[in-house]
Amino acid sequence: MNIAVLIKQVPDSTEVKINPETGTLIRAGVPSILNPYDHFALEAALALKKKHGFKVTVVSMGPPQAKAVVQLALALGADEGVLLSDMAFAGSDTWATSYALAKGIKKVGKVDIIFAGMQAIDGDTAQTGPGVAQQLGIPQVTFCEHVDVDGRRVLARKQIDGGHELLEARPPVLVTMIMGKDYAPQHPSFLAVNGSLKKPFHVWNAEDIGAEAQYLGLKGSPTQVSKIYPPPQRGKAAMFSGSGQEGVAKILEIMKSEHFTGE
Amino acid sequence: MIEVSKKCIGCAKCVPVCPFAAINMIDKKAVMNEACTLCGACVQVCPVQAITITREEASAKDFSGYKGVWVYVELTETGDKAQKKIKPVTFELLSAGRRLADELGEDLCAVLLTDKNHNYEKDLGAYGADKVYMVEHDELFEYNTDVFSTVIVGLVNRHKPSSMLYGATIQGRDLAPRVASTLYVGLTADCTALAIKDGLLLQSRPAFGGNIMADILAPNSRPQMSTVRPNVMKMAEPVLGRTALVVREPAKLDKSLRRVKVLERKIAHDAGAVKIENANIVVSGGRGMKTKEKFKQLEELSKLLGGVVGASRAAVDLGFKEKTHQVGQSGTTVSPKLYLSFGISGAVQHIVGMKASDVIIAVNKDPNAPIFNVAKYGIVGDAHEIVPKLIEALKKK
Amino acid sequence: MASMDVISRNLMLDSLKEYAKRRIPYDLIRELDEKNEFPAQILKEMYDRDTLGVHLLMIPEEYGGVSGGTYDIYRVCEQLARIDLGIATGVFATFLGTDPLNVGGTEEQKEKWLKRIASENLLVAYAATEPDAGSDLVNLRTRAEHVVKNGKIAGYRITGNKQWISNGGVADMHTVLAMAPGGPSWFIVEKGMEGFSPNKHEDKHGIRLSNTAGLSLDNVYVPAENLIGMEEGKGLLQAQAVFGYTRVMVAAFGLGAGEEALEQAIRYSQQRIQGGGPLSDKQGYTHKLLVPNYVRMEGARSYIEFTSLRLDSGEHGLQTEGAIAKYGASEWGNKAADDAIQALGGYGYTKDFPVEKIKRDIKITCIYEGTSEVLEMTIYRGRWQEHLKSRGRYYMDQADRLDELHAKVPGAGAHAAALGLRALGAIMEECRVQKLTRHQHVTFKLGKMIAAAETAAIFSTAAAAEKYTETVRFDREGWQAMARVFAREAALSTCVEGLALVLGAADQAGNLADAVNLEAVQAEQKGMIADMDLVAAKLKQTFKAK
Repeated sequence: MNIAVLIKQVPDSTEVKINPETGTLIRAGVPSILNPYDHFALEAALALKKKHGFKVTVVSMGPPQAKAVVQLALALGADEGVLLSDMAFAGSDTWATSYALAKGIKKVGKVDIIFAGMQAIDGDTAQTGPGVAQQLGIPQVTFCEHVDVDGRRVLARKQIDGGHELLEARPPVLVTMIMGKDYAPQHPSFLAVNGSLKKPFHVWNAEDIGAEAQYLGLKGSPTQVSKIYPPPQRGKAAMFSGSGQEGVAKILEIMKSEHFTGE
Repeated sequence: MIEVSKKCIGCAKCVPVCPFAAINMIDKKAVMNEACTLCGACVQVCPVQAITITREEASAKDFSGYKGVWVYVELTETGDKAQKKIKPVTFELLSAGRRLADELGEDLCAVLLTDKNHNYEKDLGAYGADKVYMVEHDELFEYNTDVFSTVIVGLVNRHKPSSMLYGATIQGRDLAPRVASTLYVGLTADCTALAIKDGLLLQSRPAFGGNIMADILAPNSRPQMSTVRPNVMKMAEPVLGRTALVVREPAKLDKSLRRVKVLERKIAHDAGAVKIENANIVVSGGRGMKTKEKFKQLEELSKLLGGVVGASRAAVDLGFKEKTHQVGQSGTTVSPKLYLSFGISGAVQHIVGMKASDVIIAVNKDPNAPIFNVAKYGIVGDAHEIVPKLIEALKKK
Repeated sequence: MASMDVISRNLMLDSLKEYAKRRIPYDLIRELDEKNEFPAQILKEMYDRDTLGVHLLMIPEEYGGVSGGTYDIYRVCEQLARIDLGIATGVFATFLGTDPLNVGGTEEQKEKWLKRIASENLLVAYAATEPDAGSDLVNLRTRAEHVVKNGKIAGYRITGNKQWISNGGVADMHTVLAMAPGGPSWFIVEKGMEGFSPNKHEDKHGIRLSNTAGLSLDNVYVPAENLIGMEEGKGLLQAQAVFGYTRVMVAAFGLGAGEEALEQAIRYSQQRIQGGGPLSDKQGYTHKLLVPNYVRMEGARSYIEFTSLRLDSGEHGLQTEGAIAKYGASEWGNKAADDAIQALGGYGYTKDFPVEKIKRDIKITCIYEGTSEVLEMTIYRGRWQEHLKSRGRYYMDQADRLDELHAKVPGAGAHAAALGLRALGAIMEECRVQKLTRHQHVTFKLGKMIAAAETAAIFSTAAAAEKYTETVRFDREGWQAMARVFAREAALSTCVEGLALVLGAADQAGNLADAVNLEAVQAEQKGMIADMDLVAAKLKQTFKAK
């Protein structure tokens, strides 16, 4: 089987800071990383490669510097890397992104299972995976903890409220992965990084993948960001003082207004 | 398109504010590269208004035929196999949708897909729905992406709503993007606020791990779709006796649609003890709890709230609680939805471990305690007096 | 070796960081530090080619390594130092021990030993220092005697004592400097060879996770093929050939540890409320304890990068540059760590926060690979020659170039740096005229002033560049302000200390006060506080409280 993994480079949101005076993001010093969910999905795909000998191709869309995450994937064991990069992709929302990724996957060739992280930590939308599946007209299984292959059957363990489901699909299928508990992403050895430079890596633009301009970028995106702004500031606490009993009443009132009503 | 006009003075103020490192200064002029997402952060800081993002004007498309605010009704299994119940998030969405529909002067409609109706329209009506589009079919006995998205796409094409809301649940987040992708319409995930602006649905959501907020519009397609997380919208008081008009919708469904099959479903009833770093609610105590015995009351309080107990370093050093519960620099970092602290003054080493919590309520005797600088609510009072009273009050409820 | 591409380098750094985050928490470091224990398991994993394989950086690709260049090694050394300087030293010792082979080994020796180091994950030690021979290797006492068989030299018997050898007690392989009949030479000595034994692990002030031990060599027989380069008497040359390079590594240690301490202090200062506001908003705190130190560390960084890139482009030696890089980074790093403790107040003085350990650890960077005093002498000697050779134009020409740069990019402090260099040139000339370098103190002080003034020049040049290197974590506005602060401070101290130095050694200073242009240097201080305010704000932005 052939596996494709969709990966994205994201700013490490745990390090993104905001300037309280101007309310703008501070980017200086914020590192870019492979989206952790994609990292998990990649490792799940590589586990299948190890077990069954499948070929793994990673596909990412982003600016030229996103090559870093593709190379990371190659260093971790992927066989081939593709970066979709074109100024025409700028401003794409999840719909336009899904469109471009689906076009890119078609150019990769026959793919049996597509892995993706359930969402990216910079947007948290969880829409691109299902969007790609829909564009390709293939079924999807979202929020999987584990995926295995038995002959021509793809078996996915999906998280649901309070438990899980075991689902079966026939390829081609797209699965999105949640992260396992206590998941710690693997990182390549120095030797593996060095070796990744020798693996096939392609940069494709909109024309290469046959994407139509009207479906790309801002033009192709149904949603538009009309404004970005800092979240409401957290200043000094709203203070209350009174007797013990009044304090208790106040706490209960706060919890109610903040929608914490106990179990 | 984003454009930088001749007005650019090369001040580079836009460079550091770009969240995507997409601006370079070339020949003293700002130039955007492929990383640009047209988010507009640079436009806002440019002192000479040299940067413009041209969006296509709202297209000539006529959307006057699109009317109605729709809410997807999510059902969840109960102990009783035969009867599912409506998830609370649906009522939250109806409450929010009611406000939007009133402002637009449109109907609020619930969309219900089920194999068997159990008078669901009663509750849906009580929470504000004018209409229930109901599809009752054996093939709808359980959620399936292909089956459900096919039905919904059909309903939307037939009735043309102006907007549609889904719970940002496992099901909603599977279904909504599939529907939006098929219809080629905008979908905004995890909205924290919804409003009407010039007849459009203005959707606000956090981005970058909550570090920044974004307002999103989808002016050129209908319906405008959003998902909203549970517990975000306030649930209105139900109006008993207010019922919704049921509109039964036909659906032609057969097994071949179902490309993914459920082999097994397991619902665990006890997922085991929640770890402090994953807890939604942390009830923490410090030196101000005075004794180990008094500290134990926090266990009871935390159990009542469904939380996990945390402790300051002082409390751990005094032997009130095991080290595994220590919150702070030398303990664990937590970011629960609610952090209740009792008798913790808020040393730096503690604060770094908990200040990312969504809501912090702090109780301390000293009105100048540093914990009040990170808390959202501060209660000046004696923790070991308040805790037992709070337990008592919660038990009564 | 040229450096690798930026993506590969950063992937390796990320792997190293992640490994440390997962396997080397501060609690563990603290415990090992207290117990004075070498983390054998951690070093083993770091050397494991499937886990990390940090040692492969020093080994060319053809022998199974990854062919790291100086810039790569500087980056990795900086990162190691941020983790723990003791662990960093354990890795560094292997780098150092591999060096004589890289520089002087024959093809067969490289084929054999480099491949073994790479594939068997060997821990290496570099055994040069002796009880009576530290930075000055000329007093070497360890002897290597010929063992003749059938009229040919079959091997050597080595006898002597080595002292303070990093990895001494734990290395699988040692490169040992000994006096052969043909002169000082490097030999490969393997663990377990008869007559070879390490002494006890030293109880040190800092870098307590690094194994440091003396070595006893009692008639240890090594085959002739273990003589590096197969030629006697090349040892000192082989050692000196890499000084530029090895000193860059120690410089990176000073930089990494010093900045790490400061960054912790900067984060802390935003949370600690005193007198109604965070310490990070108080000039009395930031402009004393944080800003000048961070500015000096970034100056040291620019000098390290300057030297690394030159070495990577194929230049050899660069002994003076290596010395300046290490001298600045280690001396300023020490001051930075000391002030970081002060910045954390009572917390800083406890072992709950890592700055206390960093302060102890970083002291070693002023001692090993050439003490600061040896470096002051090296720097002075190197530049004094240039001063004489150019008839006093050496610094004047550089200053002219800086002023040209200043005309194009006025915000990077190039003019202040030029003033500093001209003052330095004038002071050196006065020292020549009055023959003041007969005082050793004068020469060492000149070494110190040279380091600061030259770093200012390099920092300003780097800050004026169109494109910054990947390591700059500040925007242009911030980094240029840092360069200005550095250049002003360096120019002022050069003038004031230089004048004092000459006056202290001579009867009169002629018109030196005019020659150093003290007035202009003082005038150039305009805007200093505004710049420091700006730097303080940038530091706060970049190292936001966690």
